[in-house]
Amino acid sequence: MAAHTKGEDVSDNVETTIVMNGDAAPATCEAGTTIGLPDAVVQARGVERDYGQGDALVRALAGVDIDLQRGAYTAIMGPSGSGKSTLMHILAGLDRPTAGSVWIDGQEITTLKERALTQLRRDQIGFIFQTFNLLPTLTAAENITLPLTIAGRKGDQDWVEELVKTVGLGDRLTHKPSELSGGQQQRVAVARALASRPAVLFADEPTGNLDSRTGEEVLQLLRHSRDAMGQTIVMVTHDAHAATYADRIVFLKDGAIAHDCGRLGRDDIYDVIKSLEDA
Amino acid sequence: MVRIAWRSLTAHKLRTILTVLAILLGVAMISGTYVLTDQIDRGFKQVFTDAYKGTDVTVTRQAKFSGQLTGATEGLPEDMVKQVDAVDGVAESFGYVAGMGAVAVDGKVVETGGSPTLFFSYSPNDIAPPQYIAGRPPEQSGEVAIIQKLAQDKKLAPGSSITVITGDGAHEATVSGVFKFAAQSSLGGSLLIHTTLADAQSWFGMEGRLSEIDVKAEAGVSADTLAKRVRAALPAYADVKTGAQAAADQTKALSDAIGAFLRPVLLSFGGIAVLVGAFIIFNAFSMTVAQRRREFAMLRALGASRAQVLWSITGEAFVMGVLASVIGLFAGLGVAAGVNQVFQAAGVDIPRSGLVLQPRTIVIALAVGIVITLLSAVIPAQRATRVPPMAALQEGAQLPPSKFARFMPALAVVVAILGGLLIAGGMYGPGGTMVRLGTIAFGAVLVFVAVAIASRYFVGPLAAALGWPIQKIAPISGRLARDNSRRNPSRTALTAAALMIGLAVVVFVAVLAQGLKSSFIDSYDRTVRADFVVASKNFMTIPTDTATKVQSVEGVETAVSLDAQQVQAKNGSLPVVWGIDPNAIERVWSFDWITGSDAVLTKLGTDGAIVEEQTAASLGVKQGGTIKVTTVEGKEATLEVLGIYRDPMMLNGITVSSSGYAALFPTPQTFMVVAKAQPGADLAATKKGIEAALASTPTAEVQTAEEYKKGTVDLVNQLLMLIYGLLALSVIISLFGIVNTLVLAVYERTREIGLVRAIGMSRGQVRATVRYESVITSIIGAIMGIVVGVVFAWVVTTRFAGQGITFSIPGVQLVVFVLLAIVVGVIAAILPARRAAKIDILEAIHYE
Repeated sequence: MAAHTKGEDVSDNVETTIVMNGDAAPATCEAGTTIGLPDAVVQARGVERDYGQGDALVRALAGVDIDLQRGAYTAIMGPSGSGKSTLMHILAGLDRPTAGSVWIDGQEITTLKERALTQLRRDQIGFIFQTFNLLPTLTAAENITLPLTIAGRKGDQDWVEELVKTVGLGDRLTHKPSELSGGQQQRVAVARALASRPAVLFADEPTGNLDSRTGEEVLQLLRHSRDAMGQTIVMVTHDAHAATYADRIVFLKDGAIAHDCGRLGRDDIYDVIKSLEDA
Repeated sequence: MVRIAWRSLTAHKLRTILTVLAILLGVAMISGTYVLTDQIDRGFKQVFTDAYKGTDVTVTRQAKFSGQLTGATEGLPEDMVKQVDAVDGVAESFGYVAGMGAVAVDGKVVETGGSPTLFFSYSPNDIAPPQYIAGRPPEQSGEVAIIQKLAQDKKLAPGSSITVITGDGAHEATVSGVFKFAAQSSLGGSLLIHTTLADAQSWFGMEGRLSEIDVKAEAGVSADTLAKRVRAALPAYADVKTGAQAAADQTKALSDAIGAFLRPVLLSFGGIAVLVGAFIIFNAFSMTVAQRRREFAMLRALGASRAQVLWSITGEAFVMGVLASVIGLFAGLGVAAGVNQVFQAAGVDIPRSGLVLQPRTIVIALAVGIVITLLSAVIPAQRATRVPPMAALQEGAQLPPSKFARFMPALAVVVAILGGLLIAGGMYGPGGTMVRLGTIAFGAVLVFVAVAIASRYFVGPLAAALGWPIQKIAPISGRLARDNSRRNPSRTALTAAALMIGLAVVVFVAVLAQGLKSSFIDSYDRTVRADFVVASKNFMTIPTDTATKVQSVEGVETAVSLDAQQVQAKNGSLPVVWGIDPNAIERVWSFDWITGSDAVLTKLGTDGAIVEEQTAASLGVKQGGTIKVTTVEGKEATLEVLGIYRDPMMLNGITVSSSGYAALFPTPQTFMVVAKAQPGADLAATKKGIEAALASTPTAEVQTAEEYKKGTVDLVNQLLMLIYGLLALSVIISLFGIVNTLVLAVYERTREIGLVRAIGMSRGQVRATVRYESVITSIIGAIMGIVVGVVFAWVVTTRFAGQGITFSIPGVQLVVFVLLAIVVGVIAAILPARRAAKIDILEAIHYE
């Protein structure tokens, strides 16, 4: 299938977000709108994102409406080129939509200036990336408190201690990232993302570079942060196993939401993906 | 491979531009030096060639030697013209008197910026007729003709009045005409004045005598033949030359003065700039080779040989070298104009011709630029060839360590010792001044290299220490900057080392100047008991009768004239002989006796002398010994040494009584009059009185002791500023080096910057991080420069302790230099910091 779809083709797909074709979708997937949920901490309306122009125009997002509830653990899935990473970047304020708006905690972020966006990233957003998550010159402990240091705050010491305990690095806290395993590094990254108690934690393929055992540790840590601390999490992944940890799975195709499901097992997820690829 | 080299150059435009600039500026300085000094050479040559155009033979008094304080010779008897006319083949001849002095308009001395005001008596002749553009030559006593530039500058015309000041005093004169000399409206800053022969003889103490006789040959008689005949007809003291020879000799004398001073001095500033550039090229190539490690590995994996990789990089260096040299060569024309401006701003006006670009200049500029660039690139290039093909598959940007890495500390020690030995050899060993200075300079370069090699081992701790306070001020950007500056110690070390070189020389000069100033003041305070000093600006002479005039002023107790001329001693040195009034001197002067006492002063007579310690040592004489001296005219005398004193700054040389001085020299040459006020006299009123007494001779400036000291210190400061101006180039080049390093570092850390931005770092904080890293690097450079510069200065002052330069650290200035280094760091960071702040977070995160 085509990785990207041109503008005119997409307008049809926009319809699919509203009129779901429920054939292949498992029973837990809701047909219909993904908006209007109570207590939404992240809201997106009519988000479009084009890259390039003229003949080279690529429409990565073709009008996405979505609400993410406070305390929800949401996975965003979809085939390559479906726009899942672009959607996350725009929800997190790393990228700007071509059209549409995004609100975080009731504040519209799509109109924010650079300075305010920086402030937003400091206070309300946490990030975990696939690779290269830590500063090589800082120790694990320093990496964890980095967002607080950047903001020039002491932060909540009890909270930081609790995080450190949760991460379970023990005596390796004073080590540099190069002396830690990939799983340990990613756990430090999770702790760092939680350090400033963000409104939303965005994770971009957090297990993409890890083997299944260490990946499991990271996923459990994320789940723990949701269950024990009520952390709102948005995770982009193409790993079906990772997605089973989420309470809600949103499937994207061709820059639009294809399915919006609750908790799914691995086999159900495979079925949905297969149906998307076949369609 | 050539294409790869070219693509690499064009792909990294900023890096290429910065690296090319680093070597370009040094090449420009060198080419500019040659262009400027060639212009000056040719300027003088034109002047003298034109001046002697119609002259076939010249006759002057034989001079035994020439020195800065060489006095005028006794000259030739006036009737020698008749002897010359009697020689077969002489068509025409005329004699004239030449002298130096000053002119004043409306009571104000006309400033010449250190150039002389030259007087020539004018006799009607067809040999070298001046070109009069207004009025006529002087005919009656009290008439003078002036050069066009003076007329223009001071708005003078025939009929204007002007004051002529010579060693004899002030003389009122009327302008009779305005002329061009040798088709020139001016002779650099020099002023030319024509007088009548009788006036010149009277004003310059040359009654019945001539300075020079110029001769024109009859048709068919060659200049050489005529010169031989004239020489045969005249006494041995007459120096007979052809006109062409005289022009060449005078050109050479001035060119040599430039060649011996201006050219090597300017070239050494160019050399420093090139050395700094070499460090930057070495560093730039080391960094880019490390950065392109995977590219080289891939080329190797595709079958490129080591030699091909080596050629690709040296090819790149070659192109840069050619580019830098060619642009630098032409930029040198601008530098020549710029340096001339600097000199003019400092009050030194040198005649120069139009543009001179000799093949020699082109060859040297190209050779220096290309060779230095290639040499600086060859070690990094060699390291690139050691990248294994496997590296193409690996992460990271570390080069394999050089084969010699573990010998580096030993190498630094060996190079340092070698440099130290060369410096010691240059200072204490045998050989001419230039050879010794060259040896010292080469030794200094080796020391710089040794410090640069060694610096990678202490840059880490130093950066940590310097970063600590910064981290306290700015917790996150300070911390990251501190870490970043320690990540690649050899890179930070080399970048700082480039700044070190320029600053070390600045500090060295500053410490020496401080020593000079403080020992001058110290020496003055210890020896001079006078309340007033009367001297001219620019170390020109003042009228001989100044002391007499000052003595007659109410409130003045004693006024003593200090006259000076150089003589030649047996060992070829040219000590200064000071003439003083032995009966009055002890009232204004307190000799610092080593052997002897004030009692010997009255016993000086006509052939006694007291000698300054350094001169005594160089001549190898002690109290009771004798010194044989020869005057410029060839008069020989034997002086008995009655005492040895220490006075390296003021009366350095040989001091004799005024009668002994008069016996040696035909003209006095007064440089200074020191005067003491009567006890209880009103100093301000007395000073006014002296000024009034000297109103007619404005070249003689009256200063209190404090003013005189300050004036001399100011003069040293002025020179210091000139040197700082020339050294600024090296500092600017090292600034490019910092920019280059930071740009590369920012590029390498794109992902890190994206990450910290994503988790909330502001653009300002990113900029600050780069800025602090830059400042840490520049302060490291400043510290290294200060340490090396102070050590160099200490070594030199220790060696020359007896010659009046003490070791004295100018603390305030050193602090200023560190602040300056911080400014350099901040400026260097502007562009890289902006680049870092502009990095797009999304792109950075996905950046490989």
